[in-house]
Amino acid sequence: MRELLLVLNLKSASILKSLFRQDSQSLFKMLASVLVFGGFALGMFFLARGVTTYLLQTAHIGLFLFHRFLSMLLYVFFITVNVGNIIVCYATLYRSQEVGFLMSLPISHAKIFLIKFVDNFFYSSSTLALIGFAILLGYGSYFHLPWYFYFFSVFFVFLPFMLIAGVIAVVTLMGLISVASRIGIRWLLGIVATGYVSVIYLYFKTTNPVQLVGEVMKHYPDVNTYFGYLDPPLVQYLPNHWVTEFLYWSVNGNFERAIPYFFLLFLTMAGLVVTAGLLARKYYYRTWLASSDLQAMRGSKSSSFHLTVLEFGAESSIWKKLTRSPQTEVLFKRDFWMFFRDPSQWLHLVLMALLIVIFLVSVGTLELHLIQPFMRAVSFLVVFLFNGFLIASIALRFVFPAVSLESDCFWAVRSSPLELRKLYFHKLRFAFALTCIVAEVLVLGSMTFVGNDGFLLGIAAVCGICVALALTSLHLGAGSYFAMFKEKNPIRVASSHGASLTFLGSMVYLSGVVLILIVPLHEYFESFVFSDDSARSWLYLPVAVVALFSLLISVTSTSVGLNAIKRDF
Amino acid sequence: MIELRNVTKKFGSLTAVDNISLKIEAGQFFGFLGPNGAGKTTTIKMMTGLYKPTAGECLINGHNIHVNSLPAKRSFGYVPDQPYLYEKLTGREFLYFVGGLFDMSSQVLKKKVEELIDVFEVGSFVDKRAEEYSQGMRQRIVLSAAMLHDPNVLIIDEPLVGLDPRSARLVKDTLKRKTREGLTIFMSTHLLEIVEELCDRIAIIKSGRIIREEVQNEERKFNGQLETMFLELTK
Repeated sequence: MRELLLVLNLKSASILKSLFRQDSQSLFKMLASVLVFGGFALGMFFLARGVTTYLLQTAHIGLFLFHRFLSMLLYVFFITVNVGNIIVCYATLYRSQEVGFLMSLPISHAKIFLIKFVDNFFYSSSTLALIGFAILLGYGSYFHLPWYFYFFSVFFVFLPFMLIAGVIAVVTLMGLISVASRIGIRWLLGIVATGYVSVIYLYFKTTNPVQLVGEVMKHYPDVNTYFGYLDPPLVQYLPNHWVTEFLYWSVNGNFERAIPYFFLLFLTMAGLVVTAGLLARKYYYRTWLASSDLQAMRGSKSSSFHLTVLEFGAESSIWKKLTRSPQTEVLFKRDFWMFFRDPSQWLHLVLMALLIVIFLVSVGTLELHLIQPFMRAVSFLVVFLFNGFLIASIALRFVFPAVSLESDCFWAVRSSPLELRKLYFHKLRFAFALTCIVAEVLVLGSMTFVGNDGFLLGIAAVCGICVALALTSLHLGAGSYFAMFKEKNPIRVASSHGASLTFLGSMVYLSGVVLILIVPLHEYFESFVFSDDSARSWLYLPVAVVALFSLLISVTSTSVGLNAIKRDF
Repeated sequence: MIELRNVTKKFGSLTAVDNISLKIEAGQFFGFLGPNGAGKTTTIKMMTGLYKPTAGECLINGHNIHVNSLPAKRSFGYVPDQPYLYEKLTGREFLYFVGGLFDMSSQVLKKKVEELIDVFEVGSFVDKRAEEYSQGMRQRIVLSAAMLHDPNVLIIDEPLVGLDPRSARLVKDTLKRKTREGLTIFMSTHLLEIVEELCDRIAIIKSGRIIREEVQNEERKFNGQLETMFLELTK
């Protein structure tokens, strides 16, 4: 226990020291963090309260249905925390140099596992926790719940809920590594990805939200009744269901029925933590060794994938046509090979592409047939916002770490006659090309599906380019400012404090775009009702404002990024 | 030729390098010595453009590295204290990458890569990915990369760390030969016997200041006295 406390003490001291450094730059970073995180939390709070008010007072869906929707959201949240922990756990528990060092010390493997798990859980889940807590506050404030409800819910319901997701993630990871050493990593990753997609599909297939709404609405206006018999039996064993049951009975003032769910969550969490500890005692070291072997085997395999045009030193007329600069050529080749030789990079790209396809197919099955101008404007902006969210996620994962990926090897670039400006714009150009293609595919795909006219499609396409430019510049600039050259794992870079801050910043930017567009869009849709031909002119100015706003974000971020990349290395 | 004029580097309240001036003529093999934390690597990082000096200027072949950086960088090769490579690239790919950064034409680059693979005897592993390399292998690849573009100044930070005796001999012989061919070498090291064997001139830095400069030539040799002098000066 002593050594466990010692290591945890050292870790917390180092975190506190880095948080409260007394130079002006750190102070600025801290203030910016507080501002952006605080602003974002506030936004989520008002959004949660607004949505709760709308669903219960305007849409009259009733408390039961409302909590079942909440349960579905929590399920997605649970899976997100779980997958996030699996990804980051692999980096912290198996690939980190610190683990190698700790393994050489007389500390038990189970303790190392515990230290790294705690470190990992707070590292990878803090932003999600902030979002969850803000939503809980927004939800609770609608019901005028007392302060101790929040305290109890956060620490004894919500935290155990997240910990269950985290512990399941780490136990799953140990199992996956054991299996990977037998069947190979590529097959395993394919099976896991299919498994997770199936789990999500089966959940929504079982819960069948459309059928549930139909069943409950048969009893209108008595929709506040408890329709527990409509819940499929399997769902009752899921932690997201326990959380919503706790919340449902709490807001109904029936604490006798709420408390058992708290015990269920807490005991499950405790049981899982103990199980994980026991499993770690037996399997953590074994799987750590297996993971090292897997990495070594992967390194010793020479790549079977060859592409002459991208081989270093290969003569190719294409490059002579594309660029006269050998610098641009080698930078492109280096980035290409470093990306495609790192499974964590290309696998994430495949997953993101899959997510985009799922999104487009889901939007394609929507049959909105909206007539009311305000709802048409809202549906347009919701789809647009979701597109923006996807672009921001891609930028966060692939653009934000771009400068950090120069890694310790940045000395080779910095001491060469390559202008850092050129390097920066090389990164910006390729990142923008990627995000722009994704943005246009998303815009054209989703907006066509939701049945907007050609003019609106054009408007969305222009806005898509603006959003891609702003988000790419923002993530590259911030990635340069918060560069972590010592961190080799791009996933950890993309889930760092600076990355979370940038992502929240991009949400603020997207909200700004929506605010600029909402009223003119409403006017535009309204003009159809009154057959007003001048409708289009309503949108030219706001789109110009969006373009200017995006350009401003892009120029500012690029300037910050360029200055940052020139800092002492 | 290398010239440092009143160079100072401060990190907050800490002065890592304090107003140092040096002039190393073309073809000289210069040894830069000092205890741990004396400011050697900081000085080298300022000379190579990785750090910006708080005051003063660093000139490489007459070009200020921070004002006229591109011509300055074209004329030197650099070997850092830690031979970091891109883990996912092979040694050969790294050499081509560095050659490309120096705008070398593909024919010249190809010839030079093959030549350096022979010189530093890296042929047995040059086509494996760097993630498989030992420290010594990395060091030899980095040394090859530094010499790719035929620089007339070589700035080396601890070049022999991690090298086995055979590789160390290889590197020492190559450096000696290159100096005879007119290459200027600025080398930071802790290995005093290497300095005695190779260097024409030395400077000892302590707490960011140069405390002694010495010349070694036919008339005046260190003859094993460098260690005593170093220990005396840095205690």
